Amino acid sequence: MAKTRYKSFKGGIHPPYNKQLASSKAIEQAPVPAEVTIPLNQHIGAPNSPLVSVGDRVSVGQKIGETEAFVSAPVFSSVAGVVKAIEDIPNFTGAKVKSVVITTDANQPKWEPKPGKSVDELSADDIKAIAKNAGLVGMGGAAFPTHVKLSPPKDKPVDVVIINACECEPFLTCDHRLMLERPADLVAGLKLFMKGVGAERGVIGIEANKMDAVEKVRSAASSEPNIEVEILEVKYPEGSEKQLISAVTGRKVPPGKLPAEVGCLVQNVGTAIAMHEAASTGKPLYERVLTVTGQGIKNPSNFLAKIGTPVAALIEAAGGTTDGPVKLIMGGPMTGFAQEEPIANVVKGSSGVLVLTDELVDIREEHGCVRCTKCVEACPMYLMPNYIVEAVQKEDWAKAELWGTMDCFECGCCSYTCPAYIPHVQYVRKAKAEIAALKKR
Amino acid sequence: MAEKFMYTVSPHLHEKGQTIERGMADVLIALTPAAIMAIIVFGFQAFYVMLVSCIVAALSELIMRAILRRPHSLRDMSAMVTGILFAFLLPPTTPLWVVAIGAFLAVAVAKELFGGLGKNVFNPALFGRVALMISPLALYTTKFVKPFFWRATGFFTPVQTVINNAVSGRVVYQGLGGKLYVNTVTNATPLSLLKSGRMLVSTVTGPTPVGATWLVSNGRPSFWSMVLGFKSGSLGEVSILALLIGAAFLLYRRTIDWRIPVGIFAAFIFIMLVTWNHPLYQLLGGGIWLGAFFMATDWTTSPMTRRGKWIYGLGIGLFIALIRLVSPLPEGVAISILLWNVGTLVIDRYIAEPKFGEVKKPWFNKVPIYAEPAPVPKPVEEKA
Repeated sequence: MAKTRYKSFKGGIHPPYNKQLASSKAIEQAPVPAEVTIPLNQHIGAPNSPLVSVGDRVSVGQKIGETEAFVSAPVFSSVAGVVKAIEDIPNFTGAKVKSVVITTDANQPKWEPKPGKSVDELSADDIKAIAKNAGLVGMGGAAFPTHVKLSPPKDKPVDVVIINACECEPFLTCDHRLMLERPADLVAGLKLFMKGVGAERGVIGIEANKMDAVEKVRSAASSEPNIEVEILEVKYPEGSEKQLISAVTGRKVPPGKLPAEVGCLVQNVGTAIAMHEAASTGKPLYERVLTVTGQGIKNPSNFLAKIGTPVAALIEAAGGTTDGPVKLIMGGPMTGFAQEEPIANVVKGSSGVLVLTDELVDIREEHGCVRCTKCVEACPMYLMPNYIVEAVQKEDWAKAELWGTMDCFECGCCSYTCPAYIPHVQYVRKAKAEIAALKKR
Repeated sequence: MAEKFMYTVSPHLHEKGQTIERGMADVLIALTPAAIMAIIVFGFQAFYVMLVSCIVAALSELIMRAILRRPHSLRDMSAMVTGILFAFLLPPTTPLWVVAIGAFLAVAVAKELFGGLGKNVFNPALFGRVALMISPLALYTTKFVKPFFWRATGFFTPVQTVINNAVSGRVVYQGLGGKLYVNTVTNATPLSLLKSGRMLVSTVTGPTPVGATWLVSNGRPSFWSMVLGFKSGSLGEVSILALLIGAAFLLYRRTIDWRIPVGIFAAFIFIMLVTWNHPLYQLLGGGIWLGAFFMATDWTTSPMTRRGKWIYGLGIGLFIALIRLVSPLPEGVAISILLWNVGTLVIDRYIAEPKFGEVKKPWFNKVPIYAEPAPVPKPVEEKA
């Protein structure tokens, strides 16, 4: 039997996906917690300063943090309530970030949509302004401010906007559900992005394990001649920016360069829908869809949760944990952050909360490298992960850079496939910090 | 809810069954058909050689690691793999004490003294083989018996090479109770026939003989007997079919890389063709199949980069061809691979692997140089 070959990239891995746990669960509104903790810095870039002080009353969608810097995104209150404290609180990475703690009112007023404008009435600059004012960031996990992405250098025009609908991370299903439930909003968001950068072509890249989503989005985009839906091979990391561009357009972003170098812009499904909401109703980014799943969750669900919701409340809403949860992860299982305690809060970039049991957690003592080359074969950036590790062990930072430390985006394919159980990503992070320090000198 | 969850760095998943033990087990499984063929062709003597080789390999590892104060690592089964591979390289009638010395050299010297699995420069099995070849024990390991010699000696009888200066060729085979089989079972391997010009094109390319002459045509092995393994040679190298079955399994499991064997065969056949030699003879005799699929593809001693693997494979193929054509040395495959094991160090250091999206794909590595730290200005001492 001939198997249909979909577009893809070279390298990568096929982890167990486990999407069936939550893919059939419709998006539900998560309960509003008694208290939300909203970090003022939820994006890559300059930190925000608080606009409120302790004791202030805040309303839903009120701006509570902002800065003048270009590479930044404002933060909004996700609830109506009273500011209880503004203090440094560890976020999901463990780093202490200045956060606003809000005690929520018993009665939460509904968001009042403001009259918005359609794509045709907006100029490219309007769209960038809307994205900035709504505090949009990449909602796939990296949380890079969207308006910055929409402003590529003048000499590098963008002609293709790609919607990253691969959701290649195992377990996560929030983008899948969004595509099934709101395909028209996704297409509208894509049109806004295309107008924002002046691109003629829009592509929605979906992995072949979500054919129902492909159908929905295709029919939603049927009246748009410039928008196509591309089915991609099911492989991790298909949804990595550079790999996605290469799979969809055949263009390869050179090392250390941004997608605009090859005329591409990549945005996540959630970001596109948030963009549409911001343009049509003026709604800022104060809530997002995320998946609470894993073998350790009783009732895996997809939630529309307020930014600042504590993880423990979400796990509670999903029926709590089953017996023997071993790992709690913010994000996907390949790139997410393990949590020792369920104290982190939902931020703009949170795509999932994952509780793993013994079934998939496989941790062993690290053996010396046996040079089997599995990591080299798996690396989607064609780097030499084992040599980076070797260089880090010898603290030879020049060698570490030579073998591609700075091009690594920490997808984790190398560690996933390593028979010696070497935690390459850990070494790479160390090398990145050391090299950055060396270059600053 | 648990009080504390496990904290580790991403990724939080690991490929099922992707362990060192599983990789080694794959190799052992892949070697099984060839081992069975060796026992069929050379009788239980082949099994004795493999058994002694494995036991000594495991013991050497255990002892060396104890002396070197390293935790024992028998569980990873790499000693077993070395033991079997080393046995595969020997003539079936190698005396068991010679097998033991070779297996000890392979594991203790070539592997453990270099730092253990993952740090060794040379393929341990090949190192042991070549060490014996250049040692005073060489004569024990360079004479080959006839296939099915056990019909004369008995299937389970251990039959060993002994040196007797009174006999022409100096080699006799000794069975149980000191019973000698003088020269009745000695045989030339296909390659030695080739080198001395006694093998003709028609023997391997002619129509397959029928009946009793199916195995041997005019005193020389036919095409099919060479493919199936009914010929003289080292234990594991004789049955090309069995080796191919094992190699297919390893390639399917992605335990070995396809680039290296493809490179070896490409370069080898190319050189044979341009020097107007019939590549079929050369391919069917000798250890190129065992070498290309099981020795050259050793994880630790082959290059890591894709380009490096091509260079390594093509280089080995070229060397094997040159040794076969120009030099009188036996074990051309073993020597070629060992030389390129050293080449691996050079390849991995200097040959660049182009990164994703790199426009100019450089051939050679350029190690970045960081700016020297700015000199700290000396504090000016103020004079009072």
